[in-house]
Amino acid sequence: MMHQTIRSGSPTLSDDRDAHLRLDGLTKRYGDSVAVAALDLAVPKGELVALLGPSGCGKTTTLRMVAGLIKPTDGRIVVASQDITQVPTYRRDMGLVFQSYALFPHMTVAKNVAFGLEMRSLPKPEIERRVKEALAMVRLEALAERKPRELSGGQQQRVALARALVIRPSILLLDEPLSNLDAKLRDEMRNEIRDIQQSLGITAVFVTHDQVEALSMCDKVVVMRGGKLEQMGTPVEVYEHPATPFVASFVGRTNRLEGIAQGDGRVAIGSMAVQVPGRPGGKVEIMIRPHRMKLVDVGSGEDAASEGVNRLAGSLTRVTFVGDLLQYHVDVDGTEIVVEAASDHGRGFRKVGAPVAVLWRVEDTMVFGRGA
Amino acid sequence: MTAIAAPSVPAMPRLALGRTGTATLLLLPIAIINAIGFILPVLNLARMSFNEALAGGGVREAFTLANWTGLFGDTFYVELIVNSITVSLGITLATLVVSYPIALYLHRSSGRWRTFLTVLVISPLLTSAVVRTYGWIALLADQGPIVSTIAAMGFSPPRLMFNTTGVIIGLTEILMPYMILSLLAGFGRLDPRVEEAAMTLGAPPARTFWRVILPLTLPGIALGCLLCFVLAVSSFITPKLLGGGRVFLLATEIYDQAIVTLNWPLAATLSMLVLIIFGAALAAYARVLRAID
Amino acid sequence: MEANETSVPMKIVVAVLFLFLLAPVILVVPISFSGEQILSFPPESWSLRWYAALADNPKMISAFWTSLMLGAIVTLISLAVAIPAAYVIVRMRTMGSTFLYNLFTAPLLLPTIVLGLAILIVFASIGFLGTFTGLVIGHLVITLPYALRVLATTLGNLNLSCEEAASTLGGRPLTVFRRVTLPMMAPGIVAATALCFLVSFDEVVITLFLTGPRLTTLPVELFHHVESRADPLVASVSVLLILLTLAVVMIVDRTVGLSKTFVK
Repeated sequence: MMHQTIRSGSPTLSDDRDAHLRLDGLTKRYGDSVAVAALDLAVPKGELVALLGPSGCGKTTTLRMVAGLIKPTDGRIVVASQDITQVPTYRRDMGLVFQSYALFPHMTVAKNVAFGLEMRSLPKPEIERRVKEALAMVRLEALAERKPRELSGGQQQRVALARALVIRPSILLLDEPLSNLDAKLRDEMRNEIRDIQQSLGITAVFVTHDQVEALSMCDKVVVMRGGKLEQMGTPVEVYEHPATPFVASFVGRTNRLEGIAQGDGRVAIGSMAVQVPGRPGGKVEIMIRPHRMKLVDVGSGEDAASEGVNRLAGSLTRVTFVGDLLQYHVDVDGTEIVVEAASDHGRGFRKVGAPVAVLWRVEDTMVFGRGA
Repeated sequence: MTAIAAPSVPAMPRLALGRTGTATLLLLPIAIINAIGFILPVLNLARMSFNEALAGGGVREAFTLANWTGLFGDTFYVELIVNSITVSLGITLATLVVSYPIALYLHRSSGRWRTFLTVLVISPLLTSAVVRTYGWIALLADQGPIVSTIAAMGFSPPRLMFNTTGVIIGLTEILMPYMILSLLAGFGRLDPRVEEAAMTLGAPPARTFWRVILPLTLPGIALGCLLCFVLAVSSFITPKLLGGGRVFLLATEIYDQAIVTLNWPLAATLSMLVLIIFGAALAAYARVLRAID
Repeated sequence: MEANETSVPMKIVVAVLFLFLLAPVILVVPISFSGEQILSFPPESWSLRWYAALADNPKMISAFWTSLMLGAIVTLISLAVAIPAAYVIVRMRTMGSTFLYNLFTAPLLLPTIVLGLAILIVFASIGFLGTFTGLVIGHLVITLPYALRVLATTLGNLNLSCEEAASTLGGRPLTVFRRVTLPMMAPGIVAATALCFLVSFDEVVITLFLTGPRLTTLPVELFHHVESRADPLVASVSVLLILLTLAVVMIVDRTVGLSKTFVK
């Protein structure tokens, strides 16, 4: 089914001996519905791993099982070679940052951060010192005596982070921590979380539905769908060599075409034919990223077929200006294809209805079998 | 988080009790009080209505319908029941009429003024019914301000106390807060813009009221009427004090039979009758709600 | 609302109706300063004699202390019983949570005259009549549903993730409850306290069935007093009661806000 010349890394690493966190066949069923289905996963020490997927894919359920907030139906959770599946949350030593921050509203910032240390019955001076340290790390020393409701969203987020990290957890768990922040703050916090995670060398699992977050922050990306693992790999692997059509369309934008592979590296799409890498056969799906395509006027100097380049002819139906990009919508035999080009001072608009051709390199074509 | 915990996963390994055990333990006190203060007494009361009353306050275990047949065979009781229901209906209607303008005004006001008025509406609820009835005794007494004013205007002074009139006036006021709060709860659907829309379409205020406001507030009216009716049928303090022993209603009769005559089977039967009337009122309310929708 | 300017006649009607609603409560204040022997309004002379009479009335005073003690004890027990019950029903979500909630709040659906009689008959057979224990249990039957309702609503509105955060930080279940859940429930607990106390302190009908010649509460004593004679003594007691209620309400308003507590 999968046809890729470059494998996207082995989908599971459960035999990896360096793994700090390992999930073995982790399963959660609610009655008849399966939230997480026999998930195998290994997270090496010190890495930041994203669980990426649409809502309902089981990523949050997985995270909550790791934290001990949900009891798995089946499977094991292993941290540093110890099976913790049966260990209650409060003895798991996990730092969890919630989407809603979940700061204690009746405690000051300092008290919030101190909570986990007090639970560990550390001596008072030690608690004070570490709270100070943790607040300094997230640059909130000045707000130590404030109540959470007096802080902005970004500040609350940092307190939540400090509170989770101050206990020096064996794993840092982040549950959509940035989704309640506005776009600008989100970018800032992204870098801040990544910097802190790397400087502490802490193993972290990051749940998100935002592919940009997953790709930009994480060492590995785990794409999930319907409770199952679709692909695990580095951000580049997942983006450039998606293992399944779902990964291709969920991570980044894609154009999708259906055709019949001839077995000789050519795929017939309606009356046209394109070249693809490898020699697949049968019904296939072809995917091409919009920014890997080029739009040219039919018959112009650029419109020259050459070796290793595919060409499809169509007509331009719409041009959308989205600031840094121009999106050309092209009708190719009834299928809409989107081509993206960097917008250059608003230049590059073309006349709608004009005959155009779409060009892309054969190596940029992703092919997936569609079964019989 | 439902009860799907796998059998192999004990919820609290350190606690011998387990989840269900803990839950049961924590619910035990409220369950015991509920059982001995509510379930047991109510079941026992239902049973009591089939027992036989003996002279001098005795009760004989039996299974007889005598209390029930006696009730409907005795014109005093038939009249008492009919009277209770009609008086309660009258009180409900009166309460609705005097509460509606306040509720509507409150619904349209906002901010601190609204808070203040809401407090005014609630405050009588926090005052003992005995105190409020006492206030009405002072107001409605033969030498009281209302009767004297009417007399001073040259009319023959009416009797407003120790009769049904007094009970209706007193209970109407006592039940007003319930009615106002129910109406307000039901006014949620009444958007001021709907009224504006009706007016811009050329409806004069009176027609706007009948055609737009009233229909939209029917659910609140139904709720308020249900609540006030059941409270009126079962009210005891005000009829007892303002009726001065001369107004016979279901609740006062239950008390007299239980405490004075010591006929518990009859008191129990009357109590069951009150519950049956409650049930009927609730059924009527459900029908009205369905008719509105 | 500016858009629907209420007309002047309508305003007058509303004002008169408010007067009707508040008249009996307001009236007891001047009556309590009456100098007359019997209940009359307006009084022809003014004095503090009825407050003095109250101070000399051992029955009223002892009934007041009984009510105060009863209210305090009933409130404490209500909280101690309803907080764990609310926690189990809302948080632990065992089988039949909804059923249990409905069952435990069901006493509010019964008229107090029926409930009072029902309790009277059972308590007569187990010797609880005219005892303080009997009164406490009788009051708990109606304060517990109020407490449970307020506390369950409060708990249901709390963000569960705070408690989860506390447990990931190492808090054991009981510690999490004590350090996080309970403090976050504080507004609901204040409201439940006030409600339970006022309900118990004002309760007449059920109490009428349960009191005896030696043990009586203030509302019951007032009831019997009004039943037997009409003098301004009740007014002076009423004024003190209203002041007490006002104090409780103001405490609630200061801590959690009144409309949140009583209007839903």
